[in-house]
Amino acid sequence: MSVTLNASTSSGLVQTADTSGTIELQSNGTTRLTVASGGITTTGTSSISNLTATGTFGGGVITSGTAVTLTTQTSVDYTSIPSWVKKITVMFSGVSSSGTSNMLIQLGTGSTPTYTTSGYLGQCSTDTAVTRANMSAGFQVTIGTAAAHLYNGNIYINLLGSNIWCENGMIYRSEAIGGCTSAGSVPLAAALTAIRLTTVNGTDTFDAGSINILYEG
Amino acid sequence: MTHRIVVDVQTGEVTQVEYTAEEQAAYDAAIAVQAEASAETPAETPAETPAETPVEPTNEV
Repeated sequence: MSVTLNASTSSGLVQTADTSGTIELQSNGTTRLTVASGGITTTGTSSISNLTATGTFGGGVITSGTAVTLTTQTSVDYTSIPSWVKKITVMFSGVSSSGTSNMLIQLGTGSTPTYTTSGYLGQCSTDTAVTRANMSAGFQVTIGTAAAHLYNGNIYINLLGSNIWCENGMIYRSEAIGGCTSAGSVPLAAALTAIRLTTVNGTDTFDAGSINILYEG
Repeated sequence: MTHRIVVDVQTGEVTQVEYTAEEQAAYDAAIAVQAEASAETPAETPAETPAETPVEPTNEV
């Protein structure tokens, strides 16, 4: 048994009471929401609009960052990534840089992020000339980069556990045939809080296209 | 001035962060090293990328 509040189509509000410690909300006699000592359960299709998560959150929601139009910056940092995040998607649309330095994604930790610049394992390859490169200073997502290249696609970064993050992705060019695939992993010293798009030499600038991220728990 | 873009995903705030004097000095030094290296190295002729021949689909039996 339970306490019930029934929105009846014939009698209006119908209440019952007991000492079970459970309460049910009913629509015309059918229980739709039950609050008990073990938690809250719903019955049937449930929808919640305009939900804003605050504090510790269990995940299940995909959140978009803010798209950045690339003009003359040496890097783009996405910071304050919540601790519950287990998957990040980095999206490229027509991304170009000013030179030939390959593009990297580096992961950061701490509230004022410190970016990890070593210990990345894996490879990046391109089908244009069938060349490969080992990663080290970051998740290398392009190889054989040139200023004219325009890269498009997604890079996925997933939490394996114990602050180990795994990456894979494909970004392909739109101004000519060719593209790059990459896969790697890196152990972080602490929980991830930030990611950075930059280049190997750190001096080339991003001069066209846009990027954004999605994150989810 | 050299800068980076910082996006705070919690607030949505997008900030253009100018390099500090120290970062700018390191940046300028790196650029100088690159310029010196490229001056010493003869410019390479970019290799031509062979045109790709479309692959005809085959129906293997």
